[in-house]
Amino acid sequence: MSEDAAGKTSGIPSKKVLGLFALAMINVAAVLSIRNFPSMAIYGWSCVGWYVIGAILFLIPISLAGAELATGWPEGGGVYAWVKQAFGEKGGFTALFCEWSNNLVWFPTVLSFIASTLAFALTPSLAANPWYMFSVMMIAFWGTTAIAYFGEEISAKFSNIGVIIGSIIPAVLIILLGLWWLGSGQTLVLPPISLGAMVPTINLSTLPFFSTIVLLFAGMEMAGFHALETRDPQKDFPRAMALSAFIIIICTVLATLAIAVVIPADQLNLASGVMQAIQYFFNAAGIAWLVGPMALLITLGGVVNLASWLIGPAKGLGIVAEEGNMPPLFDRTNKYGAPVAVLLIQALIGSAISLLYVFLPSVNQAYWILSAMTVELLCIVYILVFAALIKLRYSQPDTPRPFTIPGGIAGVWIVGGLGLFGTALAFVVGLMPPAYFSSGITYVLSVLLGTFLLAVPPLVFLKFKHPGWLKKSPGGEKS
Amino acid sequence: MTLSKNGEIGLAVLLVVLFLIPSMMLGLLYGESPYHVVPGEPVKEAADAAGISVVSVKGTLWNLTGALGGKTYVLTDPEGDTATIAAQAFDSADSRDAAVRLYNTNAPGKGRQIGSLIVVGQYLIYATPANSPIFAKLAPALQQAAKAQS
Repeated sequence: MSEDAAGKTSGIPSKKVLGLFALAMINVAAVLSIRNFPSMAIYGWSCVGWYVIGAILFLIPISLAGAELATGWPEGGGVYAWVKQAFGEKGGFTALFCEWSNNLVWFPTVLSFIASTLAFALTPSLAANPWYMFSVMMIAFWGTTAIAYFGEEISAKFSNIGVIIGSIIPAVLIILLGLWWLGSGQTLVLPPISLGAMVPTINLSTLPFFSTIVLLFAGMEMAGFHALETRDPQKDFPRAMALSAFIIIICTVLATLAIAVVIPADQLNLASGVMQAIQYFFNAAGIAWLVGPMALLITLGGVVNLASWLIGPAKGLGIVAEEGNMPPLFDRTNKYGAPVAVLLIQALIGSAISLLYVFLPSVNQAYWILSAMTVELLCIVYILVFAALIKLRYSQPDTPRPFTIPGGIAGVWIVGGLGLFGTALAFVVGLMPPAYFSSGITYVLSVLLGTFLLAVPPLVFLKFKHPGWLKKSPGGEKS
Repeated sequence: MTLSKNGEIGLAVLLVVLFLIPSMMLGLLYGESPYHVVPGEPVKEAADAAGISVVSVKGTLWNLTGALGGKTYVLTDPEGDTATIAAQAFDSADSRDAAVRLYNTNAPGKGRQIGSLIVVGQYLIYATPANSPIFAKLAPALQQAAKAQS
């Protein structure tokens, strides 16, 4: 794909609208979710230990890797561009497709979160009405797709404002309430802090949780999909990575601990969706009136989280199509530069899976397997990214990298190695069935088969690829 | 190898179908859990049958629409493992299924859900940790109880 000085590619006009703050907010929108806090607060002080594991084995490595790769290869496509440099089109396309396809399986989760949180602001019993759930899920899904339709400038504004209002402000509010709770001498439900209490219990029973904790910070590479719209990628990417990682880790750890010190662990179980925990928290603090407005803010945070995952990988796939790796059908862009065909196909598939999710919810075992597939597909993406980071230091050592991981080749091996170890281990433990599955073999085969089906289309597309798939430039030349 | 216009459309349709195959196959493979009233205390009965001791029992009412109350059991087995298992009854299939959706929604990040959940008639039975050996021993009896009444 060619890119001129104005940032125009052959088919997609790219306005340079993103700066440091907007890039950082794209990552924060993808990763920071209030949804995670009550689930993690169950672990009490040991949530700190789990977060440290997640930071060492994933957050820090992916932030450093993303910063080096994005400054070295500031092209559109994010993970596609990076992995392609190291392993060719097959590798790049597979990495990107896995990032896109895992979303389609995951979208119903975040859409259901949006609908049930909004129900809390209106009438909580609405969450038990499948028609309400499906309607709101579809409005959120297609509404977010419509925002993506209007291109990067509108999407970025929505993301910037939405993540502050819907994710950062609620997280800060929870942290402030936790501090007030501590300062006002209220009863703390956690035992006194100690180093031992922060060490997580790791055994066969808790091992499957490892994959969750590693992927808790998945999405730090999201800004890379927006390289073509970034004003100064070499300068802004590393700083955006650092800023977003800082905001995410501070908000996540402190807000989780704030919930953990206020709400007894036996209240933080299945019964505690985010809003149930917030309600308990706010009632205890005497500000029950704030529960409804908070539900609206968190709903917006959910939509922003959805938007970041919906837009980034779809843009990447649009670029893959533009490079002639997919049939021209997928290569339709509108005047705003949005990949409309990919967005439409994504919305149709996501809607169909959401339909099954809402109307067959008690097929819980099936949904567990779909969740496991999400984990496996994401692990494939990150394994390829970390492997690319290491390989490119050998295959393209002279490519200018305005940001390089410190420590030379040893530093890259440590960072890439930690990331590879974390994601490979997450892949393996992601195959461990929960206790209630009667047949472990059936479970593992189902997960592997599903993962294969959702990862293999790039190989099919590349098999059928031909020069006619390349987009023609206005002058009639193949770009 | 080249493709006609129809072939390209076929490839796009294949892509859509590929995504729906896993979801639909899994739905067929595992089947829906019908709502019906299971008498007694399925968790306690399964624990007794498996030789697992009940350390403590506490009544709980979850803050969810349609929740009718239930019990939280702390169980221990002869090997010294412990697990917390909660059973909560719901007044309808819709409210029970809404709780299942909530459970799936609570999965942190893009990871898997915390704990394990199975549906037994009107009950949701929730165990932590997810891979507790105790729950592995109870699950077959609980699933049997779910099937026996349906």
